[in-house]
Amino acid sequence: MSLRRPDWAPETIDVERPSVARMYDYYLGGSHNFAVDRAAARAMVAAVPQAPLMAQANRAFLRRAVQFLTDAGIRQFLDIGSGIPTVGNVHEIAQRHAPESRVVYVDIDPVAVAHSREILAGNDRTAVIQEDLRNPEQILANPDVRAMLDFSQPVAVLVVAVLHFVSDDDRPAEVLRALRSALVPGSYLVLSQASDDGRDETERAEAEEVYRRTDNPLWVRGRAELTGFFDGFELVEPGVVWVPQWRPETPESAEDAERAVFLGGVGRLGG
Amino acid sequence: MAEPPDGQPCVGVFARAWAKAVAGTSYLPMTHAQLEMLLQRLTNLLAEALRAEPLDLRVGHRVANELVAAHIASAEALGRTVEVIQLRLVRDLDLVADDIEDRLARLLGAVATGYARALRDRTLDEQESIRRAAMTARAEAEQALRASEARFRHQATHDPLTDLPNRTLFAERLAAAVTGSAGSGRRVGLCFLDLDRFKRVNDSFGHQIGDRALVAAARRLRRAVEPHLVARLGGDAFVVLVERSTGTGDVVAVAEAALAALSEPVVVDGHDVTVTASVGIVERRVVGTSPDDLMRAAGSTLLWAKAAGGAGWALYDAERDSREQARQELSAAIPAGLERGEFFLDYQPLTSLHDGSVLGVEALVRWRHPRLGVLRPDSFIGLAEETGLIVQLGGWVLAEACREAVGWTSASGQPPYVSVNLAVRQVRRPGLVQEVRALLRRTGLPPNRLQLEITESTMMTTSEEPVRALRALAALGIRIAIDDFGTGYSNLAYLRDLPVTELKVAGEFVRGLRTPDALADERILASLVSLAHALDLTVTAEGVETGGQAERLRAIGCDAGQGWHFGRPAPPDHILARIR
Repeated sequence: MSLRRPDWAPETIDVERPSVARMYDYYLGGSHNFAVDRAAARAMVAAVPQAPLMAQANRAFLRRAVQFLTDAGIRQFLDIGSGIPTVGNVHEIAQRHAPESRVVYVDIDPVAVAHSREILAGNDRTAVIQEDLRNPEQILANPDVRAMLDFSQPVAVLVVAVLHFVSDDDRPAEVLRALRSALVPGSYLVLSQASDDGRDETERAEAEEVYRRTDNPLWVRGRAELTGFFDGFELVEPGVVWVPQWRPETPESAEDAERAVFLGGVGRLGG
Repeated sequence: MAEPPDGQPCVGVFARAWAKAVAGTSYLPMTHAQLEMLLQRLTNLLAEALRAEPLDLRVGHRVANELVAAHIASAEALGRTVEVIQLRLVRDLDLVADDIEDRLARLLGAVATGYARALRDRTLDEQESIRRAAMTARAEAEQALRASEARFRHQATHDPLTDLPNRTLFAERLAAAVTGSAGSGRRVGLCFLDLDRFKRVNDSFGHQIGDRALVAAARRLRRAVEPHLVARLGGDAFVVLVERSTGTGDVVAVAEAALAALSEPVVVDGHDVTVTASVGIVERRVVGTSPDDLMRAAGSTLLWAKAAGGAGWALYDAERDSREQARQELSAAIPAGLERGEFFLDYQPLTSLHDGSVLGVEALVRWRHPRLGVLRPDSFIGLAEETGLIVQLGGWVLAEACREAVGWTSASGQPPYVSVNLAVRQVRRPGLVQEVRALLRRTGLPPNRLQLEITESTMMTTSEEPVRALRALAALGIRIAIDDFGTGYSNLAYLRDLPVTELKVAGEFVRGLRTPDALADERILASLVSLAHALDLTVTAEGVETGGQAERLRAIGCDAGQGWHFGRPAPPDHILARIR
C-alpha cells in the first residue's frame, strides 16, 4: 500500500496537474476538463492515435457489462474509479431497466467526486465517496457504502479502466481479494485495463510518458495477468477479451478489437 | 426494425445509414438499436418538415437539440449528419417538390445552426460544471485542512485525558495576560491547585479509575471557575488563570468555588473517589511580574497549603517566600562552603564544678559566609538536617574536631576531651562506627578524648541499628553524652540499656536557679543528678551564666558546667591558653 497521509493533512487540489479522470472525459468527447487535461490528452493522442477510440470502446464495454448484470438480476453496484460522471453512468444504465438499483461511485480525484456529488444530488439510490482503490478495507468500511449497499446480497464490483493506475507494488491482486472477501456468492467482478499484449514498444513507452505527468502513472498488463485477477470468480463468456469482443451488439463492432488496447472481462462469484 | 406508422420502409433505410455515419464519432451511451430508433424518429420529423407548407425551420433546431441531448454531440457527428442528409434524405425518402433542393438547404442550415448552438451551450455548461466542481473540491480541501489544523492545534494545546487546556496553552495565555497591553493598573491571579493524596486513589483503585476521577475533577473545575481558563499541568495538578482581577478577593473566590466543586462526592465504578484539594493563590499587579515569577510563587504557596494539611487554600506571602527562598539558597550553598573551607570550629569549655579544671570542650561549628558574615549553627544546622547535608557537614565537624584536639596538651597532664554533636541522620547512617574508628586511627586521638553528643530523639527509634552503633563506639572507649536531657521524652528506659557516660542537662533548668525561690527547678536538677550518679553517669549543666548558678549546681552535686560563666565559645587557641 502506498504511504497514506495522516488524516489531519488532507490532499490539496491541484488543477495545474492533468487528471486522468478529466482526460478520459475528453477522450469521450466531454467538456468536463481543463486546458492542462486537454494538453495531456492531445499528447496521448499524438503518441497513441486511437486513444479516444480506446476510451469509447471501454465505455461501451462498461455499458454492455452493466446491462448484462442488470439482466442477471444484479441491483447493487460498487463502481471504483468512476471518474467524471459524463455520459452513460452506471446508475443511468442500471436504473433505466431496474429503477431500484443502487450504485456507489468511488474515485480518488476530489474534483471528480465533487462533480459526481453535484450530478447525483437528488438521486437517493446513489452515493459518492472519495477513496483510493488501493484501500479496499476503507472503501468497504465507509459508512456511505454500508448505508447504500447490502453486502448480504449480491453486489457487482466494477473496476473498469482503473487497474492500470495501480502499480504492482500496490498489489492489485490483494486489493481484489480484499474486495472479493466482502462479497456473497452470486456477486460479480467487472475488470478492464490497458494491455500491452501485441503492442508496439515505442507506443507504449510514449503513453507511459504522458501518464507519468499525472498523479497516476500507467501500468499495462497482459491477458494472463488480468485473468489471474479474477481468482475466485468464474469468468462469464467470452472470458477476458479485447473489450469490443465482449458480447458485442453487432458482429462489425467487434472488428479490429485489439485496436481498443483494453482487455476486459466479467466474473461471477460461485458457491 | 419497426416501420413508422405511415409505413414508409425508406425511413428505416435512411436512419440506418445515418446511424452508421455517426457511430464512433464520439462515445454514444446507447445501443446501436436505440440509436437507429432515435434517428428514425428524427428522420420522420425532417421529412414532415420538408413536406409541410410553409417550411418550419424550428424543426431543424429541434432535431439538432435532440441529437446533442442524446450525446450525439461532436463536430464529427455534425459533419456526418450534414453529409448523410444532403446525400441521401431526398433520395431515400423519395421526396418530390419543385423547390426541394432549396428547402433542404434551408432546413440543413437550421440543423447546423441549432447543432452548433446546442453544442456550444453544452460545452459551456460542462465547463461551468467542472469549474464549480473544482472550486467545491478546493474549498472542501481547504476546509478539511483548516479543520485538521484546528484539530492539530487543539491536540497540541489540550490534555488528551481531560480535554482541558494543557501547559502549552496555559503558558501562552498567561504570557499574553502578563505582557499584553500592560495597562498600569491591570492585575492577574493564579490558583495553583493540586489534589490531596491523589496517588492513593491510583494505588487503591488502579489508574483507570484514577484517570476517570481526574476527568470528573477536571469537568467540575472547568464548570466551577468559568469563564476563567483552567489548565491541567500534568498529574493531578491544575491551574486557573484569573485575568483582569480586581483584587485578592476575586481569586480567593475562584479558589473557593473550585474547592467547593471538588468536595462534592465522586463515585466511579462504585468506588468513592472523593478527593480534597489544596490551592496556592497568587494575585498581583501585572506590572513588574512575569509568568515565571507567578508560577513559582503559586507553586510555593501551594506547598504551604499542603503543609497546612491540605483541603484549603493559602495566599502568597512575599515575606514568607523570601525567607524560605533565603533558607533555600543558604542550604544550597553548604556543599560549596565546605569545599571552600568557609566552616570553622569554636570551642566552649566544660568545666569541673569540683576543681574548676577544664574537663572537656564542646566543638561548635561556624560558617564564615562570604556575603552574610559569620553564621551560628542555629541559622543553618536545621536546614542541613532537613536536606540531609548534615551528614556531610557533621562528618567534617567530627574530623576537624579530632584533628585539632589531638595536639592539645595540658599542664595537669590530662588534656580535655572534645565533645562533638552527632545528628540523628549521622547516627542512623551505616558505616558510622568504621568512619569514627578510621578517624581516630588517622588522627591518633585517644578514644577517651572524644565525646559524642546525641539527642534524646536519636534514641526514639524502633530500629536496632543506632543502638548497636553506639554500643560499638562506647566499646572503643568513646564517651557518649545525652544532650539537652530533660527537654524531650526523657525516656529512662534507654539509660538502662545504653552505654551512656554523661547527661547534659538543658539550660532551661539552670536558668531557674537564678531566682532564690525556684525550688522546683532545683529539685528536678537534684533528682536528675542523684539519678545519674546512681547509674554511674556524670552530669554537666548547660547554660550556666552566673557564679550563683554555679555555686548551687555544685551544692546539688552536679559534676560539670558549661556556659558563659565558664567561658564563651572561642577559637581553639583561647581554649589552649586556659588549659596550659
